Amino acid sequence: MTDPVRPVVDGLAAVGMAPEGPPDPDGKTSGKRTYGPDFLTALFQNPLDPGYADAAARRAAEGPRTGPGRQIASASTAVTLLVIGFLLVVAYQKTVAEEPARTRARDTLITQIQNRRAETERLQARADGLSGEVAALRESELGGAAVAQLRDLEAITGVARVRGSGARVTLVDGPASVNAVTGERRTEAQVKDTDLQLAANALWQAGAEAVTINGQRLTATSRIRQAGEAILVDIRPVASPYQIDAIGPGDLAEDFREGYAGQFFDLLSSRFGISFEAAKAKDLTLEAATDLKLRSAEPSVAPTVAGSGGPGPDPSVTEGGR
Amino acid sequence: MIAVLALLAGVLLGIVFEPAVPPELVPYLPIAVVAALDAVFGGVRAKLDGIFDDKQFVVSFISNVLVSALIVYVGDQLGVGGQLSTGVVVVLGVRIFGNVAAIRRHLFRA
Repeated sequence: MTDPVRPVVDGLAAVGMAPEGPPDPDGKTSGKRTYGPDFLTALFQNPLDPGYADAAARRAAEGPRTGPGRQIASASTAVTLLVIGFLLVVAYQKTVAEEPARTRARDTLITQIQNRRAETERLQARADGLSGEVAALRESELGGAAVAQLRDLEAITGVARVRGSGARVTLVDGPASVNAVTGERRTEAQVKDTDLQLAANALWQAGAEAVTINGQRLTATSRIRQAGEAILVDIRPVASPYQIDAIGPGDLAEDFREGYAGQFFDLLSSRFGISFEAAKAKDLTLEAATDLKLRSAEPSVAPTVAGSGGPGPDPSVTEGGR
Repeated sequence: MIAVLALLAGVLLGIVFEPAVPPELVPYLPIAVVAALDAVFGGVRAKLDGIFDDKQFVVSFISNVLVSALIVYVGDQLGVGGQLSTGVVVVLGVRIFGNVAAIRRHLFRA
C-alpha cells in the first residue's frame, strides 16, 4: 500500500472518480480508477457510472454469465424497472393531487375577500347615512352660530369637505434609468416621501388651509412615508403623478414657487428630470379625511340638567371630533 | 423489450392501485424520482454502449435512492434539507444530462 495511486477495483459510488490518464468522454475505461483531482470535472466528463465499465471488463475476462444467475439478473432488472415505473406514477399522481387543494384554498380566499369587501361597502354606506343623520340632528339642536363654528373647525381639521380656490402643485417622477451593465435601477429621479413632506409643509407655511395629496386629505396627524418604492399617505399608497391641492390665499401658488420648496423642486427638475408645476387653481373641492379617529374627548361643560334644549344653546359645546 | 414491458407494468400498477403516500415519505419522493431517472438513463446509455449489466443497474438504482434519501433525511435533521436536496438534484441532474447527451449521440450521431 505504498503506491500513491491506489487502484480502486470495485466500487459503486463512482461519482468523483476520474479514469486514469486523459478522461474518456464515453466512459469506456479500464477497470482501474483513481480519485480524480477535480470532482466536478470528473462528473461532467464521465457521467456514466464506471461500474458498467468494470462489469464489462469483468465479463470480457470471465465470459458472460450463464444459467440461473443470468435469469435472476434480468428478473431483478425487470423488477427494478417495475418499481421505477410505479415510483414515477406515484410521484406524478401526488403532484397532480396537490394542485386542486392549492386552487381550492385560493378560491376560498378570493370568496372571502369579496364578501368582506361587500360588507365593508355596506357598512360604509350605513356610516355615511348615519353621519348625515347626525349632522342634520346637530343642526336642528344647535343654533346657527354654534353650527357655523363647528363647520369652521371641521374644515380646518380636515373632517369636512371643503371647497375654494388655491394652488395645485404637480410632481411627476423623472425617467427611470437602468444601468445597462448591472441592470440596476436608479431611483434618483423618483419623487420621495421627503419631497412630498416638504411640499406639504411649504404649503401649510404659505398659508394653506386644507391640503390633499392625490385626493387624500392631510390632517394634523397625517403621515407621509416611504414603504419600499411606494409612498403612503396615512396608510394609503399614492403614485406618480402626485397632485397636491391646497386651498388658501390667492398668491399661494406664487408664494410656493418662489419659496424654498419651489427652488428645491426647480433644482430637482433641472438635475434629475422630475417635472414640477405649481399653478393657481380655482374652485377646488377637497374631500374629507377618511380615517380620522376620535382619540380623546371630554365634555367642555359639565352635563346640564336634562331637557335644557332651550333656544339658546351654549356656544362652547363642541364635539371632540367626528 | 422486457425492460420496457416491466416499466409499463409498473406504470399500470401505479395507475390501478393509486397508492396513498405516507406523509412522512412525501419529501423524499422528488429526490427518489430524480435518482430513479439517473439510474434509468445510465442504464439506457450503458445498453447503447453495449456494456449494460443487470447487477450494476439494480445496485445503482437502489443505492442512488437510498443515498439520496439518507442525505435528505440527515439534512432535514440538521435543518439544511433544502440545500442538501439541491445538491443531490444538481449532481444527479448533471449526470442525467451527460448520459442523455451520450444517448443522443448514439441515436442521432449528432
